[in-house]
Amino acid sequence: MKREIRFGMIGIIVSAMLLTSVTPVSAVLYGDANEDTRINMQDVTKVERMILELDPETESADANRDGEIDMRDVTYIELMILERAPFPGGSLDAVMIFGPKSTLDPANGWHGWYVRKAGIYETLFKYNDEMELTPELATGYTQLSDTVWDIHLREGVRFHDGNPLDADAVVYSIGRITDESNSRSSEYDHIASVVAKDDYTVTITTTEPYAPTIASLTDPLVSIVSPDASDLDNDPVGTGPFMYDDHELEASLSVVRNPDYWGGGVKLEGVTLTYISDGATRAAMLQSGDADIARGLPYPEVSTIEADPYLDVVSKETLRLYFMFVNTEKAPLNDIRVRQAINYAIDREEVVDTALEGVGGVPAKGVFPSIFPWANDELAGYTHNQTKALELLEEAGITDSDGDDVLELSDGEDFTLTIMTYTTRAAMQPSVEVIETELEDIGIDVTLELLGSSAVKEAMTSGDYDMAFYSYGVAPSGDPDYYMTAHFDSTAGYKENGWTRYSNDTVDSLLASARMEMDTEDRKDYYDQAQEIIVEESPEMFIFHEKETVGHHIDVIGYEIYPNEITFLTKDMYIGR
Amino acid sequence: MLDYILKRVFQLVPALLLVSVVSFSIIYFAPGDPAEVLCTGPDGNVHPKSVEEFRIKMGLDKPLHIQYLIWLNNVLHGDFGYSYRSEKPVFDHIKRAFKATFKLSVVSLIVSLVISIPLGIVSAIKQNSTMDVSCMVGASLGVSMPNFWLGLLLMLLFGVYLNWLPVAGYGTGGDLEHIILPAITLGTGSAAVTARLMRSSMLEALGQDYIQTARAKGVSERVVIGKHALKNALIPVVTMVGLNFGYLLDGSVVVETIFGWPGLGRLIVDSINMRDYMMIQGCMVFVAILFVAVNLIVDISYRYIDPRICYETA
Repeated sequence: MKREIRFGMIGIIVSAMLLTSVTPVSAVLYGDANEDTRINMQDVTKVERMILELDPETESADANRDGEIDMRDVTYIELMILERAPFPGGSLDAVMIFGPKSTLDPANGWHGWYVRKAGIYETLFKYNDEMELTPELATGYTQLSDTVWDIHLREGVRFHDGNPLDADAVVYSIGRITDESNSRSSEYDHIASVVAKDDYTVTITTTEPYAPTIASLTDPLVSIVSPDASDLDNDPVGTGPFMYDDHELEASLSVVRNPDYWGGGVKLEGVTLTYISDGATRAAMLQSGDADIARGLPYPEVSTIEADPYLDVVSKETLRLYFMFVNTEKAPLNDIRVRQAINYAIDREEVVDTALEGVGGVPAKGVFPSIFPWANDELAGYTHNQTKALELLEEAGITDSDGDDVLELSDGEDFTLTIMTYTTRAAMQPSVEVIETELEDIGIDVTLELLGSSAVKEAMTSGDYDMAFYSYGVAPSGDPDYYMTAHFDSTAGYKENGWTRYSNDTVDSLLASARMEMDTEDRKDYYDQAQEIIVEESPEMFIFHEKETVGHHIDVIGYEIYPNEITFLTKDMYIGR
Repeated sequence: MLDYILKRVFQLVPALLLVSVVSFSIIYFAPGDPAEVLCTGPDGNVHPKSVEEFRIKMGLDKPLHIQYLIWLNNVLHGDFGYSYRSEKPVFDHIKRAFKATFKLSVVSLIVSLVISIPLGIVSAIKQNSTMDVSCMVGASLGVSMPNFWLGLLLMLLFGVYLNWLPVAGYGTGGDLEHIILPAITLGTGSAAVTARLMRSSMLEALGQDYIQTARAKGVSERVVIGKHALKNALIPVVTMVGLNFGYLLDGSVVVETIFGWPGLGRLIVDSINMRDYMMIQGCMVFVAILFVAVNLIVDISYRYIDPRICYETA
């Protein structure tokens, strides 16, 4: 008897578990009568047909949510189309990878990225989802001379505290960056002065002709903040589509719709961003419905999530590059033919297909991905070719002279290669392991060293390394100068160039000319030429461009991936279906 | 009693000094230049000039012993300095992170005690029964199961399949809903250890002569176990629970990371990765004080459990 009761209890518990594990219910977008996820005149027609009893009534046709479908719903939908009535966009739960650690002030280090992603702040110019430079809080600029730029501000924009956006606010915001106490002020050394010419024009004077001047204003560091805000650390006041609501540092940030957004009606009513650094947890939150959208899905989870009928995965190439630093002063890597041979021996397709499960990246031909307007489309890059690799090595005097399947250098020593890397980015280790086997395939004895990124940097600085596998964003401000100068201009004094110890006078002068050249086409020409030489001489080996993989519930409409990883929430996103 | 406490607090001073010297030198000798690491954004490139400016601003250009003495002087004046990374007071960061960790620790401890003490007692009383064996097998499993694995399993079961609890996150200030899964994850690990200890120390107590005497006197079994045996058996368990609580308060990096809990463990590891010396130092000293304080409380509590223990003469 006793035992029966016990089993009965277990049965009840199990069935209770099964009952409560309900499938997610789709949200209703009130007003979207024909359920095409959009609210437009077709919905008006649809509701009218319902009133005339030509079509069956649906819940979503009840635009004003009074429980009845009548002419008031027609009026309400029309008001929504005219943006006179709030859009029933719902509230979104998003799970992100990184979040604010100590402050919400955009002028502090890289915190601007997080508050921009939350839709609170905006910059004068931005990059759209096609990586084209477009005005945001500005309407455009006029270049008066090589060093003087007039920036025309958008009129009628108001901060969340009601203050108008004017030239004084812009001067104040840029002043917070150029002030010496700001830890990133040296990046804005090129700015000599910023003055208000009139209410809606700001004049920026640079110390020397500097082509990326406008691009440097797209960094979320230069977010335009309200001059009257008293506590930017905790209570951000910007101009964006969303207004600050609440936050818990390192854990979450919530925002609500800005009803007076200058760019038109904001569709979502509110958003909570949760910051979770563990990829498996983010995927689980998406599957459980705790999150409507999750960034940075771990590659092994992608197929599971794609298989779920309620979830979708979107991916897009980003500006993040995975590449090798090569010590060009250490034998045998000081021989250009050896570097080229290694480049030919690496099968980038295989790296992407196996280490990244075919979804995490695109094989790289040069520094910039094809989605970036500054990419050199003529570059052939290196395609996998073992014969060619062995030929080049033989020319350099490296052959398997004793027949042990390991190549020997001309002095009879085995060709050994140490590749260092770090593991904080999930793609690093699996990718470098594939590269290891590929190089071993042609007879190079490869050792992997997985270290902290600081230890790798230390080794590169001291010169005690062969190659190091690394990941950089190539153009956070959308300008090609950022990566090219730091890595390949031997006169600029950047660490990155010091690590490869690469120096080529032609490249140096091409990059110097490019920085000063104001004509976009001529400027691109300089970078194209420089990239050709760099790919040929291989001081760095470009492996793949990362693809951002974002999972979302099918209810989430209007989401676009921005390749520069800076913009996330937009006024056009909403929940409805 | 007060004398004893004062003496113990006084003994803390050399221990803390040693901790601070050791942690200061370890981080100094670890590879990596804090100025460079901290000036590097999510994208990589560092402007050489900002690194130099940063080094001077933070006093990193001074020799190690000078840096240490400056730090020590500030700490003695109650100033734990500013985080290199956020340029905000170290103490504010610690306070915030500790609040999160403290909540989680207390709930984990409760979970652990609620599981372990009854299981340990029952196993001891019914020694070698099926109940005893299954409890101890369960305890061995609990000890061997890695935290992150258990955490992920709980997340999948209660978060994804059953949808009873949020998968992860901190909620509003670490609410009960969000605390349950991480607390169970942390609590079961220490519960397993405590249950085993409770069982063995209960067995030992039950084998003592006074138990036999009590039984011979005709004292009910309930009182024999609840009063005579349990009180004596608790001493080593309290020590263990105290130590466990000390560990819990330091924050668990793994559990905090997978559940997105903004606690002390994550703060420490993040600071180490970022070479945020000031923050690491502050955290180390804080953790050392915590640990010693918990031990002190445990020692004092013995007196209340077993009045035979007397500190005045010790």
